[in-house]
Amino acid sequence: MEFVISHLVKNYGSKQVLKDVDFVFEEGRIYGLLGRNGSGKTTFFNCVNNDIDINSGEFFFRGESGEKTPVMPEDIGYLVSTPTVPEFMTGREFLKFFIEVHEEIKPDKTIDEYFDYMMVPEDDRDRLLKDYSHGTKNKMQMLLNIIAAPKLMLLDEPLTSLDVIIAEEMKNVIRNQKQGRITIFSTHLLDVAVDLCDEIVLLHNGRLEPIDKSNLGDSDFKEKIINALRDEDNG
Amino acid sequence: MVNEFRKNLAKIIHLRSIIGYNGLVFALKKTPVIGKLIPDRLYSTTFLKVIYWIFHIIVEVFKLFIGKIFGLGMIYLAAFLLSDQYIEHELGGGMSRSAVFGNLGLFMFLLYALCGILIRVPYFNCTTEKEYLVFMLRMDAKKLNETLICYDLAKLFIGYVMAGIIAVITGAPFWLWLGIPVLALAVKFLGIGLQILSFRLKIKLHKSLKISTVAYLIRLTLVLLAGPFFIVFIANGYFIPMPQLVIITVLTVIAGIWGLMIFIKTDSNLHRRALHDNISKTEVKATSQYDNTKSFKKFKAKGTIKGNKKGFDYLNALFVKRHWTMLCMKPVIFTIIVVAVMILLVAEFIYGYYSRFGSENCWNMVITNLVNLFTFRAFSDALLPVGDDPAFEFLRYVAQFHLLGMLIPLSIADNSFKSTQAMFINCDNSLMTFSFFKQREKIIRLFDIRLKQLIKINIGPVIAIGAFANLILFVTGGQSYPGEYLVTFLVAFLLSVLTSVTWLALYYLFQPFTTSVVAKSGAYRITSIIIYSVASIIVWIPLASYILAPVLLVFAAGYVLFLRSRVNKLAPKTWKIKS
Repeated sequence: MEFVISHLVKNYGSKQVLKDVDFVFEEGRIYGLLGRNGSGKTTFFNCVNNDIDINSGEFFFRGESGEKTPVMPEDIGYLVSTPTVPEFMTGREFLKFFIEVHEEIKPDKTIDEYFDYMMVPEDDRDRLLKDYSHGTKNKMQMLLNIIAAPKLMLLDEPLTSLDVIIAEEMKNVIRNQKQGRITIFSTHLLDVAVDLCDEIVLLHNGRLEPIDKSNLGDSDFKEKIINALRDEDNG
Repeated sequence: MVNEFRKNLAKIIHLRSIIGYNGLVFALKKTPVIGKLIPDRLYSTTFLKVIYWIFHIIVEVFKLFIGKIFGLGMIYLAAFLLSDQYIEHELGGGMSRSAVFGNLGLFMFLLYALCGILIRVPYFNCTTEKEYLVFMLRMDAKKLNETLICYDLAKLFIGYVMAGIIAVITGAPFWLWLGIPVLALAVKFLGIGLQILSFRLKIKLHKSLKISTVAYLIRLTLVLLAGPFFIVFIANGYFIPMPQLVIITVLTVIAGIWGLMIFIKTDSNLHRRALHDNISKTEVKATSQYDNTKSFKKFKAKGTIKGNKKGFDYLNALFVKRHWTMLCMKPVIFTIIVVAVMILLVAEFIYGYYSRFGSENCWNMVITNLVNLFTFRAFSDALLPVGDDPAFEFLRYVAQFHLLGMLIPLSIADNSFKSTQAMFINCDNSLMTFSFFKQREKIIRLFDIRLKQLIKINIGPVIAIGAFANLILFVTGGQSYPGEYLVTFLVAFLLSVLTSVTWLALYYLFQPFTTSVVAKSGAYRITSIIIYSVASIIVWIPLASYILAPVLLVFAAGYVLFLRSRVNKLAPKTWKIKS
């Protein structure tokens, strides 16, 4: 399975944020979407997630035999950088509700096993979500996306402002969950992208450009990416 | 020193002008429809900035004249009028009219100024301009306050001197002309000195320097309580003899000098800390959208959901449980008030019957009616003695032909708009980031559940309003056809359904709220206004209840189905977080 983006354009008034995004993402891989602040990473995700209308272009799944399948809301899991959760529920209540509304899901774990898997502290599970820390809210969001098992996982700077322990736990979860789906992980931190992702794609000047990661060990690699991103200013 | 003052004042006025101008453009850009037409370059248009600057100066002058001259002018006017009365009624203790004018003017000004410092000493409130200058641009807090106080006191002095000229022309003694402005400065410094002393005390007690709202309210109450004493004092023709008044004035001036010394001796750190603890951001608040999300966050993890509710039913039940006060308090209070009014009216009716026909007849009327009501469902005969009253006839006409008017109290009791705000900020805002929440069949499922819930929440006011209309029918002769009472309840119920479904559908079709629960969508506002306008015309249409009920039933069913179909079709696109 592939996720194909074809000539995607998104403008805000006269400002062209996504100029002509054309890219193919492959199943089982984590793509690091690297771009500077304000380069349009969140806009790109919002377009794919149908939160905002696009000006032109299309995106779809392409099967083994080349057939096109439209992207349905249930195909996408979207983890936003500032996690928002229904604050009037406890973690357990939210998880129960989430599993119940996903009738197609046959959970292979109990609620507490899911919590254990995401390392959600026991004393947090029956507290209101409004009292959760940023990191635990993020874990809850990730957990729900894991349970929903979407074909396409969009992770919008999910490690931003997490402490090192939770960030490391989240990275492991993302790595463990990559099989059977396409994961696109946006970040403006080069080290995180290099550490976690199988492929690095630059959102550069409103377009997506792949970066060859084969020479990762090369000391010039980071320099090359930084120079590429700097070109945006000149462009 | 003068040069430094001039420089600081220029900085303050320049910054104030920038904040004011940018705030105005920002507010305009946030205005629906017009906002989209305003370009960003308006922020840097010199021509408009100059116009704003001129406008700013006009406002300053206006404040000077209106605030200062008008304030003192009123005191002089009162002293002028009262001095005439005192002389006419020989209450002045042998003083000349000019002396009485001076005495009363000085007395009232002292009272006004001393009450003023109890209510308001604004120099330590930290506005946006002060915040920028002190905490971002690193300006010395004491120098900033000195500059602002000097500027303010200069305006005060000029304003009072100008007001004094008019007073002297109308017969005030000459000493009052210059004496009052000097006294005003002294009182201001006394207020500043006392404020600084209270700050020093708070520092010793390791407390925040935030000026307490409770203390302010206590002081305000004390000042207001002084009002009646003052009126009695003046109304009885009393006055404080001049020597005593002069002593009080001199003591006030000495206290003012003491306040000035305290102000001079206070170091910059106290000024900085006082400003830090009293940041108010008045300009920002005035121009930005008000964030009222805090009022929606007052819930606790109390209880759980019993029974076997699942999925969206479970979500809704939990939501209502945790937001009960927010969702139901208004309809409940409304219901209680209507029921209380009904009880009072019934009591008043029985008392009226009692006073006209005596206790025995009254007792018989009540018992007969209750017996008839519960056994034969007929009771009108016993009420005939008051049934011919024209006022009762009018009320009966309203209860029979203007049931659409029930929409007004039902709309007042209805809490659907606030409910949609709570749904968005505490529930949907977060769930909208999950894909399942945007699936058509799930959206409509939750819509149906919520519509039923809103109807349930409004059932109290529906019964209360319906009962109220039926009480009028009952008192004025009972129902004119079988089942009229039930029809009245049915109409009230249908009107409530229309209100609930309208707010809920508008929310799903426009999703107007930002994350600060402000309704931002122009289309939402325009549609709401159109619906309000149409409804406000419809409520006046007279229609017999037996015609209205079936028409309304068909209309309400069609309206609900239509809006539901619109939500089903459009909400997957429209019901989303506003970017």
